[in-house]
Amino acid sequence: MYGWHLKVLRVNLTTQKITQEDVDPKIARDYLGGRGWAIHYLYKEMDPMADALSPENVLIFATGPLTATPAPTGNRYMVVTKSPLTGALAHSNSGGEFPTWMKRTGFDMFIFEGKSSKPVYLFVNEDQIELRSAVHLWGKDAHETTDILKAETSAEARVACIGQAGENLALMAAIMNDKHRAAARSGVGAVMGSKNLKAVVAMGNKNPPLHDPEGMRTLSVNTSKEVGADVKKGSNMRIYGTSYVPQVTNTLGILPTRNFLQGTFEHVNNIDGDALKNQYLIRHTPCYRCPLSCGRLTEVPDGPYKGKGEGPEYETISSLGTGCGVSNLAALVKANYLCNEYGMDTITTGMTIAAAMEMYEKGYISEEIIGMPLKFGDHDAMIAMIKLMAFREGFGEDLAQGSYRLAEKYGHPEIAVTTRKQEFPGYDPRGSQGMGLLYATSNKGASHMEGDVAYEEVFGVPVKENPLTTEGKPELVKHFEDSFALMDSSGLCVFVAIRYAFNKDRMILPLRLAEMMNLSTGAQYSPEEVMIAAERVYNLERMFLIKAGSTEDTLPYRMLHEPLPDGPAKGKVVELDKMLPEFYALRGWDEKGVPTKQKLMELGLPLN
Amino acid sequence: MMIQVKLIANYREQLPPEAINGVVELDVPDGTTVYQAISRFDIPLDDTSVIVLNGLTVDMSTPLSVGDMVTAFSAIAGG
Ligand code: SF4
Repeated sequence: MYGWHLKVLRVNLTTQKITQEDVDPKIARDYLGGRGWAIHYLYKEMDPMADALSPENVLIFATGPLTATPAPTGNRYMVVTKSPLTGALAHSNSGGEFPTWMKRTGFDMFIFEGKSSKPVYLFVNEDQIELRSAVHLWGKDAHETTDILKAETSAEARVACIGQAGENLALMAAIMNDKHRAAARSGVGAVMGSKNLKAVVAMGNKNPPLHDPEGMRTLSVNTSKEVGADVKKGSNMRIYGTSYVPQVTNTLGILPTRNFLQGTFEHVNNIDGDALKNQYLIRHTPCYRCPLSCGRLTEVPDGPYKGKGEGPEYETISSLGTGCGVSNLAALVKANYLCNEYGMDTITTGMTIAAAMEMYEKGYISEEIIGMPLKFGDHDAMIAMIKLMAFREGFGEDLAQGSYRLAEKYGHPEIAVTTRKQEFPGYDPRGSQGMGLLYATSNKGASHMEGDVAYEEVFGVPVKENPLTTEGKPELVKHFEDSFALMDSSGLCVFVAIRYAFNKDRMILPLRLAEMMNLSTGAQYSPEEVMIAAERVYNLERMFLIKAGSTEDTLPYRMLHEPLPDGPAKGKVVELDKMLPEFYALRGWDEKGVPTKQKLMELGLPLN
Repeated sequence: MMIQVKLIANYREQLPPEAINGVVELDVPDGTTVYQAISRFDIPLDDTSVIVLNGLTVDMSTPLSVGDMVTAFSAIAGG
């Protein structure tokens, strides 16, 4: 087999024993790679009811069959584990350089079990594989940790690590790689922290052998040229990264504002892509082998929010910015830098602070408890909360549990805008009904990356759908979920892979993606087969969720009962009842959302 | 009658200098449609653009009313 190394590195942190295993080629093919392989192993190896922060949880880093190949954006890995935030499955994706370097060690996947008695990091340079003490790194942020590890190993190495938030088991802790990239969501950094695993350092020269190197090169060059031609015409993603999106969602009235109390933000011009570009952009920073290059190096040159780093992305602007009612761009950029340094998911961080702000304004939490006033729009208080949260100090102890537990503790669960206890990303589903169905049914709790139907409802990719209607949305959500499972398993970035995964008539066969997978692996997938494999992955993730005991597919109170007060979607709530039964039927699930025996058999999945 | 056109991100290059934050006021004849209003700007009018009226998905032949805002942006996967 090609494309995959078919090698897993297993690290038992309790015993410090490290083993190498081969992957069954049939499993490799049936589960694609990346996210697909990871759920296959996770489902087999751990009790889904185990405490996510206990040694029984299994933490998996998984690359795909296109990672470290010439395929444009073949630079991703997935972090898959049980989430301490949601109690459900976590799968978080990241790019940059580390994933490519990880695959060049000669392993497709690292599996971490147990818990080390002392802080350690894993160093892998092909056959040189060592667990080393990380006592000197404990307490350091993700940037310092990365610098120290590169200095003490090799400038050629790449680092994934946690910051203080992960060490302190804050439930919004991310795993940072290459300093600024994050496998962010669902508290994967807290799982790493619970295992006393501070970092993973990877290097090597073992590119995966390719089935058809010449064919792969030609297709990759052609794809790069196509993307490059679009960029030349003027691509928003190149010019602005995702920071152009607030203007789009504000226009549609679905920009989360003040904890979803509103769908438009009156100060959007202060914090949009143009403001960022004109004031703080230095240059573009691509992930490895990406012709689009949506990342941005930015700097606030002076003043109280002085700093340098990458971003912010749209999801950060819509959470720490509009979500908190914050219109001071320098403070928002600084908040983003802090999250990257402490190693935190900006969505859950921002929306938890937003929930606290609403509770403060409504008198549900006092100034004494918080330690300061916490009004919407108070950017200095927002920054103070991030620090408290990362270190779990004072009120930060409450914040570090996420908005659901915070709102529940203070007697107002209706304030939390979450599903499966995970905070919503930057699309108010009352004005984008398909996103409502997605958030409600997502196996990992609210997440756009579970199957971003906003591509159609908001961005018109590949075709524009009316975001306010429910007709056709169940089918759309299913297709996007399966397509994202495919892209996340392949090792490509969705921003570019979406071009290979969809046609203009939205059908349904990912011709070019299947071709790339074949050129890499030689697995001779038909386009139909890769979609079935993706559906297999999605259904197995569903089974993990069900066994973890978190099955109800619903939405928080605000989305079902409080109509949007402003903007084009004024008066709307999510009409979930209109969509859910049809979605279950399309999925081959019963009326409780459980895959039927017939569906499991059809996909070749275990029946128990 | 006066209407507004808002262009987002890279499309803003097509706006006249008097535009503020991507928005320009236009005086158009009664009966002007969404399509006619947006055709005044050099942006693609195919499915590589998303064009909405007051934030809503409408037919391009919809006639405008006083104070309406037509917004256009380039269709690209983001967020
Ligand atoms: S499109 Fe952006 S996130 Fe995706 S690989 Fe390229 S630079 Fe990275």
